[in-house]
Order: sequence, then structure tokens, then C-alpha cells
Amino acid sequence: MSAVADSTAVAAVNKADVRPQRDNALLLVVAVFLVILGCWMLAVYRFDVPSYILPKPDAVLWALWSGLAVSPTSPIGYYLPLWGSLKNAAGGFLIGSVLGVSLGSLMAEFRTVEKSVMPYAFALQSLPKVAIAPLIVIWFGFGDGSKIAISALLAFFPMLINSFTGLRSVEPEKIDLMRSLSASRFETYRIVKLPHAAPYIFAGLDMAVVYALLGTIVAEFLGAQQGMGVVITQAQAITDVAGVFAALIILGALGIALHGLVRRAELRVVHWAHRNQK
Amino acid sequence: MTLALRAVPSASAATQNAVIRAQGLSKTYTAKSGPHVHALDPIDLDINDGEFVSVVGPSGCGKSTLLRLIAGLDPQTGGTLALGGRAVEGPSNEVGVVFQAANLLPWLTVRENVRLPLRVGGREWKVGNRVDDLIAMTGLSDFAERYPYELSGGMQQRAGICRALARDPKILLMDEPFGALDALTRERMNLELQRIWQTNAKTILLITHSISEAIFLGSRVIVMSARPGRIIADLPVDIPRPRSLDAILAHPSYQSLSRQIRALLNAQGEVE
Repeated sequence: MSAVADSTAVAAVNKADVRPQRDNALLLVVAVFLVILGCWMLAVYRFDVPSYILPKPDAVLWALWSGLAVSPTSPIGYYLPLWGSLKNAAGGFLIGSVLGVSLGSLMAEFRTVEKSVMPYAFALQSLPKVAIAPLIVIWFGFGDGSKIAISALLAFFPMLINSFTGLRSVEPEKIDLMRSLSASRFETYRIVKLPHAAPYIFAGLDMAVVYALLGTIVAEFLGAQQGMGVVITQAQAITDVAGVFAALIILGALGIALHGLVRRAELRVVHWAHRNQK
Repeated sequence: MTLALRAVPSASAATQNAVIRAQGLSKTYTAKSGPHVHALDPIDLDINDGEFVSVVGPSGCGKSTLLRLIAGLDPQTGGTLALGGRAVEGPSNEVGVVFQAANLLPWLTVRENVRLPLRVGGREWKVGNRVDDLIAMTGLSDFAERYPYELSGGMQQRAGICRALARDPKILLMDEPFGALDALTRERMNLELQRIWQTNAKTILLITHSISEAIFLGSRVIVMSARPGRIIADLPVDIPRPRSLDAILAHPSYQSLSRQIRALLNAQGEVE
């Protein structure tokens, strides 16, 4: 978790590079997938790696199928736990993002807030936040509250740092423009600073959405009635490694879908920042 | 929008209706660490209603400082500065600023950018079709719903000029507005600016690096010294309007003015 700050920069860089050659990139992704699948089959069928360490691909496929090809309300399917995890992750994501942008805005606007909050923000930032999870479970219990709280905590930091950075990076000429028009502080914030920070905020959302999901799963590991974290721990308890793999694949697909949603929203909202990619 | 062509006021009528009056105006930027920057030596300057004043000088000579003081963006550290007889205490509705490289907001369309001055500043502006009139005047009607990144540099700066005119200010301050444009676009923008000035009763202060631009547009050219900035020459340009680019190059006044300004700037150690 201490890599949060670093991945801010990485996320921003990747965006610029990957897009123009999307077709090539897709081919590469497929090729890498085939190589991984090949190695996996080789390990299982040729080198006889035992199935409690590495399950057979078809066993994973079967586990996936039996979790997906059921009624959405079935207790053995993925749908109910997926919904439970998603609901809590979304709640945490919303709360963490709103709080992150709000505090980031206050820090960017008011030096006093920046000076008093920044040291604590960085201290908390460098703390492995997953390590706080047991404490949060003590405070919020084993219900939805602790899941939402941990998700919100993990989503909060990228939003705080990115919105603060974005709001502070406005060109002085744009501030001069608003001053020359006698614009109020809030007008300058709303019309100039916030739109300017939007690409930074979206890069933060991109990370926050994945961290929120991570937060929920980790909280579920510590104890929950329902959720993908429970599916994983239950499969682990009976050494159903194929079941663990299947659940991880579901979570991976979910992460990709959420990332895609954020990207789509970004392209629509901050279209001016992507003018070279049209 | 009034479309009356006006004669350039004569120098004798000048002093009584100075729209911008600076007396002993100076500016020193104080840094927390390091030396203070003495940007502007005490200067006296009267600019009359309807004048087009060009300011040339070496880089960092305090031209932009002068503009920022008049725009009310920075307070002066010495002397007095008044617009229409009222001391400058901050940005005024009577002043429109045209920034370097247009400085449009990329997330707003051309129309929204031009309308910006009318929706901030805590005041209702009743201007009728002014925004669309300005956009039409600068030939941007077909681009009103486009975003700045879809426009050329020249078109962007036209939108920047429209925005500065949105509140119908008496004074237009322009800080090297065409510096980022290529030579041909720049000439066209000069012609356009002359037309805008002649059809709208504005007092314009233009800061530029280009001697030819300063003479072509100015009723007066003010030459400033290297930092700390002082006014070392205040030269009237008696070339009849409307001026055309071809005619002005051949005009004897243009050539002597150009030589004179170049010599003054060379003595300061820098010329474009």
C-alpha cells in the first residue's frame, strides 16, 4: 500500500502512452495470455505440479462455470457475494472520493489547512493502511460498516493527493484572468481550478476505484457474512485452489471493468485533455 | 456597439482628459529571500481617451509590470495611478486584459470563454447580443461552439480579444498578444486590431517586442529602458489611418521612427 503515491505518477504516464496503439496492445495482451496459459498447462500436465498448489485450467474453468451458470439469487453462485462486495466498495469509494476531493480542495485553497493537515496526510499515507483494518473492524464491527470504512480509507488518499496536486498546478495566468475580472474565490475555484484539476482527479478515481474494492475484500478476509472475500476464504479453507483461482479471475475482471468505466467517464468529461488522441 | 470612425485626438487636447494617469509610479517586488527586484523606476505617463499607445522595451524592462499595475493585478510601491481620475485599488470593470497566447479556458467553448466576464464578479451584466456581436466582428461565428484546441493560434487570440471586450471596457490592456503567432497571422491580427480600435471607442495600451507592430498600431510609441524600467522616449506616430501594411513600410515617418526606436533599444543593449 505504500506504493500509492508512486503509482499516481505511473497511472498518468501510462495513459499517454498506451492509447494510440491500442490494436497492437490488444494483440500483445492476447499473446501474453496465451504464453501464461501455455506455461500453466505445461506445469500441470508435463511437470505434474499437484492440484492443491496449481489447479488444472479446466478445473478453474469448471469452478467459474459453476459459480456463474446459476440463478442470480443462488447462495452458491458469485452473484450475491459479488453484489455484496461491490455495494460496500462503491459506498467506500464514494465516501472516500468525496472526502478526499473536499480535503484536497481545502488544502489547496487555504495555506493554514495545508500546513496543519499535510504532515498527518503524509504520515498516514506512508502507513500500510491494510494494517489498520483490524482496528477498523473493532470500531465498526463485522458488518458492512467496516468494509465501507476500509474502502473509503484506501480510496481517500489518491483522491486527496491528486486533487490537491491538480488544484495547485493551475497556471498563474488563468488566476490573473479571474482576478482581472474581479471573480470571487469560489468562482475561480469552480470555473478554473476544479476543471483544471479534473484530469488529475480522474487519475485518482482510477486508482481509488480499485483500492476501494481491495479494501472491501481485505475487510471480508477479517470476517464477514457475504462477499468475494468470503468466497475466497471458504475455498481456501477446503483447499479448493481452483475455487480461489476462479474468484480471483472474477475480481480481476471486475477491476478491469471498473477501470474501463472510469476511463470512459474521463474521456467524456475531460475531452479537452485528450485532444491529441482523437 | 458603436461603429463610428473617430479621429485620433490631438496631443494638445490630451492632458485634460487623461484616461490613465501615472505620476511617480514605481514598483519593487520584495522577495522573502534574495534581493528585491526593482522593476519600475518612478515614471510619469498620461494616456488620453481613445489613444492607442504601444510600449516597446528590452525583455524584463518592466513593461508587463506597468500593465499589471494598470490592470490592478499588483499594487504599486510608489507614486499614484488613476484611471479616469479614480485611484487604482484593484481590477476594474473599465479595463479589459488581453493575455499572452490567448489564455482561454480549454474546457469552455469559444462562446463560453467570451461570455466568462459576464458571469463572474458578482454583478448582473445586461449586454444584449454583445457576445455574439463580438464573435461575429472577429469572424468567429462558425467557431462559437468549438473548443479552443480546435482553433488556430490566431483564432484563439481573437477569442481572447472578444473576451477582453465583453464588458465593453474603456481601456484595453494587451500584453504581447501576438508574440506566439507566426509572422503572417500576426500581420493579419494587426490589421484586425486596428479595425477593432477604429470601430470601438477604446483606449488601448499594447505591450510588444516588435518595433514594426508598435509603429503600425500606435498613435504613440513609448520606449522603455532596461530594468529598472524608465520611459526613455515618447514618440507620436503621425501616419494617417487606416494604415495598410504596404503603405506604412514606405512612409517616411515609419522609417525614421523605426530607426530612432531601434537606436534607443540598441543603446539599451537589446533589440528583437
